[in-house]
Amino acid sequence: MPKVLLDNVTKVFLTDTGPLQVLNNMTLPIAEGEFLCVLGASGCGKSTLLNLIAGLEMPDHGSVLVNGAPVRGPGPDRVVMFQEAALFPWLNAVQNVAFGLKMAGVAQKERQERAMELLRLVKLESFATSWIHELSGGMRQRVALAAALALNPEILLMDEPFAALDAQTRDQLHVEIESIWEETGKTIVFVTHNVREAVRLGTRVLLMSPRTGCVSREYPIDLPRHRHLEDVDLVRIASVLRDDLRAEVEGSGVGDA
Amino acid sequence: MPEQMLGDNREWLDSLVRKSMRTRRRAFLQKTGARIVFFTALLLVWQLLAAAGFWSELLFPAPRQVLDALLSSIADGSMTHAILSSMKRLLVGYSVSLLIGIPLGLLLGRIKLLDNTLGTLTLGLQALPSICWMPLAVLWFGLSEASMQFVVVMGAVMALILAVRDGVKNIPRLYIRASRVLGATGWKGYLYVILPASLPSLLTGAKLGWSFAWRALMAAELIYVSAGLGSTLMMGRELHDMALVVATMLVIITIGLVTDRLVFGTLEKSIHRRWGVSGH
Repeated sequence: MPKVLLDNVTKVFLTDTGPLQVLNNMTLPIAEGEFLCVLGASGCGKSTLLNLIAGLEMPDHGSVLVNGAPVRGPGPDRVVMFQEAALFPWLNAVQNVAFGLKMAGVAQKERQERAMELLRLVKLESFATSWIHELSGGMRQRVALAAALALNPEILLMDEPFAALDAQTRDQLHVEIESIWEETGKTIVFVTHNVREAVRLGTRVLLMSPRTGCVSREYPIDLPRHRHLEDVDLVRIASVLRDDLRAEVEGSGVGDA
Repeated sequence: MPEQMLGDNREWLDSLVRKSMRTRRRAFLQKTGARIVFFTALLLVWQLLAAAGFWSELLFPAPRQVLDALLSSIADGSMTHAILSSMKRLLVGYSVSLLIGIPLGLLLGRIKLLDNTLGTLTLGLQALPSICWMPLAVLWFGLSEASMQFVVVMGAVMALILAVRDGVKNIPRLYIRASRVLGATGWKGYLYVILPASLPSLLTGAKLGWSFAWRALMAAELIYVSAGLGSTLMMGRELHDMALVVATMLVIITIGLVTDRLVFGTLEKSIHRRWGVSGH
């Protein structure tokens, strides 16, 4: 049984210019422990895919199954990490990390310890009592990552989490998310519009088409782990993907990638 | 000089720190100095006009008489009594406004039906100066503390409800989505996300509500004479004691400034420290 199964899912948004069919009879199994990267131009529905798995949105047709059970809403087994770090300004770093645990009713002492442990994991233990606006963009995403991991979700959903970061910080976070994935065996769905990032991280890369509203192609990535963005093999695969992506965008007449 | 920054040139860094502290101190002195000069000049003009004797002493008291009136009213306990009576009314009325306004504002911000009905009514009542409730209040509650407090509540509560509602409506969608993902739903969402996220607007509303309440109370006290600052003003008028009137006005100004700076200023600073100055 796949960890996550999108079964014949259709999602339509009603906009001012008429209905917009973002996903169209999409069927997608995601295996346990997979690092799935979803690639596509803006507006191809890749974030919608993530929101459906997260339970933040409901399909108009078809169903989303996690561990065989239909998704009825958000749950602690599926945590989303957003492009802009979703941290609360009225809480400091460690309180943000501990927030999910507090909502789950974990005792103060235990959640404090667990949150500090996670801040150590993302190398920010010395910023535990900093306010969010005092942290840099990269640090914020690290705190957000720690906050997402606090609930120990089976599935980590990442919506272009590193898009706003500089290249160096992004490199570091690639290493960190990869090692967390290797150590915990979590299932990760990672949405990005960065082709090389997708090839750098994924065990499988999906290319979504804005034209058909479903997966147009998929690419298993068999390169050895701890890849570098500059690896020749990685760049070669990425360039193939880039051409396919461009063809999709040009074919559809939408998107700005 | 970058090469100096790389080395451990403590002296150079210290001199930088000293220089910036000097600049800041100078700016502070300039600001304070300008104020002192301005208010001294104002006092001087006042004194000169009073001394020139254009108007009767009964209509235009000199600074000295005002000070005397203030000191003697404090000495005989009447001013202190008036301040305490007014503050008690204000605090009771304002607390009631907070207790009603904050929860209602939170609900209005989240529930469309409530906003479309109650929200519109609130907006309409907001346009009514709260002292206009006085005739009704007197009919309902008689000439009593209750009717004055009713006017105070009506002054503060509308502004509070609307500010909290707008604060809730403007909470970034990201916070709401994140809170759902992290399991903050139902009352937990209200308590741990919606309430704290709307704190900056809540504070703005609380400040606005306070100043409306303060104005409403003074107006009510002018109409309904009992102990209180507004009543002291009316008493001064009836006794032709303009020195007492001006002294009372100064007390009212002082109370307004102190609460604004001490209470709301401190709260605002603590919010700025957390949120960063930009707000969100």
